[in-house]
Amino acid sequence: MKNISKKAKILSIILAIIIIAGIIVIATKGFNFDLKYEKSQKVELYIEQDFNISDIKTITDEVMPGKQVIIQKVEVFEDSVSITAKEITDEEKSNLITKINEKYGTELSSDSTETEDIPHTRARDIVKPYAWPFAIATIIILAYMAIRYHKLGSIKIIAKTIGINIVAQATLISVIAITRIPFGRLTIPMVLAIYLLTMVGLTARFEKRLEENKTENKESK
Amino acid sequence: MKKIKILTIILLIILITMVAFWGIYTQVQNRMENQVKDYSYAMDLAGSRVVRLIVSDENETTVKDSEGNVVEDSENLTDDEIAEKGYTKEETPYNSDEVKTVDNYKKSKEIIEKRFNELGISNYITKLDEETGDIIVEVTENENTDSIVSNLATTGKFEIVDSQTQEVLMDNNDIKLANVMYGADSSSATSSGTMVYLNIEFTKEGKSKLEEISTNYTKTTEDTNTTSEDANTTDENATTDETSDDTSSDDTTEKTITMKIDGEEIMTTSFDEPIRTGRLQLSIGSATTDTDTLNGYINQASNMAVVLDTGNMPVRYKVDTNEFIESDITQNELQIASYVMLGIVGLALIVLIIRYKLLGLLGAFSYVGLMSILLLVIRYANVVLSMEGIFGIAIVLILNYIFVNKFLNKLKDNRKDLSKEEVIKANKETYKEFFIRIIPVIIMVIAFSFVQWTPISSFGMAMIWGIALIALYNVIFTNNLLKLKAKKD
Repeated sequence: MKNISKKAKILSIILAIIIIAGIIVIATKGFNFDLKYEKSQKVELYIEQDFNISDIKTITDEVMPGKQVIIQKVEVFEDSVSITAKEITDEEKSNLITKINEKYGTELSSDSTETEDIPHTRARDIVKPYAWPFAIATIIILAYMAIRYHKLGSIKIIAKTIGINIVAQATLISVIAITRIPFGRLTIPMVLAIYLLTMVGLTARFEKRLEENKTENKESK
Repeated sequence: MKKIKILTIILLIILITMVAFWGIYTQVQNRMENQVKDYSYAMDLAGSRVVRLIVSDENETTVKDSEGNVVEDSENLTDDEIAEKGYTKEETPYNSDEVKTVDNYKKSKEIIEKRFNELGISNYITKLDEETGDIIVEVTENENTDSIVSNLATTGKFEIVDSQTQEVLMDNNDIKLANVMYGADSSSATSSGTMVYLNIEFTKEGKSKLEEISTNYTKTTEDTNTTSEDANTTDENATTDETSDDTSSDDTTEKTITMKIDGEEIMTTSFDEPIRTGRLQLSIGSATTDTDTLNGYINQASNMAVVLDTGNMPVRYKVDTNEFIESDITQNELQIASYVMLGIVGLALIVLIIRYKLLGLLGAFSYVGLMSILLLVIRYANVVLSMEGIFGIAIVLILNYIFVNKFLNKLKDNRKDLSKEEVIKANKETYKEFFIRIIPVIIMVIAFSFVQWTPISSFGMAMIWGIALIALYNVIFTNNLLKLKAKKD
């Protein structure tokens, strides 16, 4: 028993450190938002032929070293490329076009190529579709937990379920912030995965406690 | 005999795995084609239609006579004719400076989202540039996308005006709701098709206005172009499979009203009798057997209904760019992700084999079989795979690993002298323990699989099929494989 509480203590300390570090990183540096959801700039170039994304990537790496770039094929004929980066300066655009002209023999000009501004996606717009289904499912789950484990104290079970889930999600968010994993399309799937696995872990623990209680009751009788 | 049965099951698993991972290739016109259905991908993996809406800088041109009254049908007048008749031409911007505010841009974005929700669009992204008012919309590419995009820039300004004086009699504020209705086509004695109607319900105030208008704007002679209460519907826009019904005779009408959406005339009509129900049903078209035509009318009516139902956008927009852009997650990157996933599974199975020896090996074979069947089921059950769906598959694989590990763990102590009864008992216990523990997961995935939003339903559907497979597959394959391994009966 002593051993378990020691393990729990160590785990709690580690989690607390991760969460505090996460809060500091979020407060000071913020999240590393996925470029897809961030305010960015885009240029579209008509290459007039099929091309490889990797070849364009080589060019963007040369022209915009160290910059996160999204390269996408445009339309069904896949002969145009869309290049998105947080910021594309006129010089970068010009160099990009020069290199693409050299590689593909096109006659694109910097003057006739517009740089489009892409607004950011609001975090609430990303989260909004999930809010209701998530809330409804959670309420049903909590009701089930309260009924199934009422012998362990319904209120206690609900509080523990909510508390442990909050800690699990806070840890995940902190890890995302600390490791600079882009905050975006992988975040919600990760939140869902952690939520469900936490639930499996919790029910396993509560079932075990239920079994122990049964055994204790039998022994006492 | 037992060895042959075990070998048969293992060979079957290998076969299923080969089909799931490599496919079945047959020659089709000098090329090899995979006969196994491909995955359906959601917007985040397949790409999307990206539409950029910009704030319109166009002007509205009105021609006024010397007394300041708006001249009707002025579109056909040349500048010389206007000058000759003493008319004046006025150009007013659709979007005045007062209209171009952040609040109005936000409201316009909200209306677009509301329209998407009412149209049941299952996946979209909207972005607003608060400085310029530009709205970028990303929407799933399918057969309805063009129709959706064509209505994106519709402001949704609804007006019923006096055809002669252009006085606005009713507008958006009078609409309570708009929807689509169907009914038997009773336009002629021989018609037997389905008629699609746009049903507009008015507010209490609108109802009184409509009653007043329908009393005042009556026709004096026979007219094919009529609007009447409920079932008697306007026929001006009605078209059938074969021909367009264009037999209106407006000149017989004493007073008519014109219905406009975004300033465009939808119809000009009069009324047979006063409408007291506060509802107008406008026929959009009818079809007898051609479902494509009928669906076209339904789409047209739905789009109009949604535009009217969601109110008019305070800012007038125009479509600047409209193109399909592939996902930035390439097939190559997806392949790399799946190899990483397979690598992790491989490592976990090695652990299983080391831990449980021969039982572990059988468990590992069985595990691979479930994974392969799941990948086939996802394709044939038309589960649309999004990033969430891929995570759903990963969670199913984790859950099945927990199941197999639990099952084998119960047999571990007697693995050298295993009896069938022990396998059956272990199987029952594992099922009970495992499924009780994942009830919260089941609740969540059932709730998610009913949601229309593709990423959520993808997660829910992938997991629900996975959990059903864990329940079915393990009782058929894993359980029997281990029972065959058992020495004693």
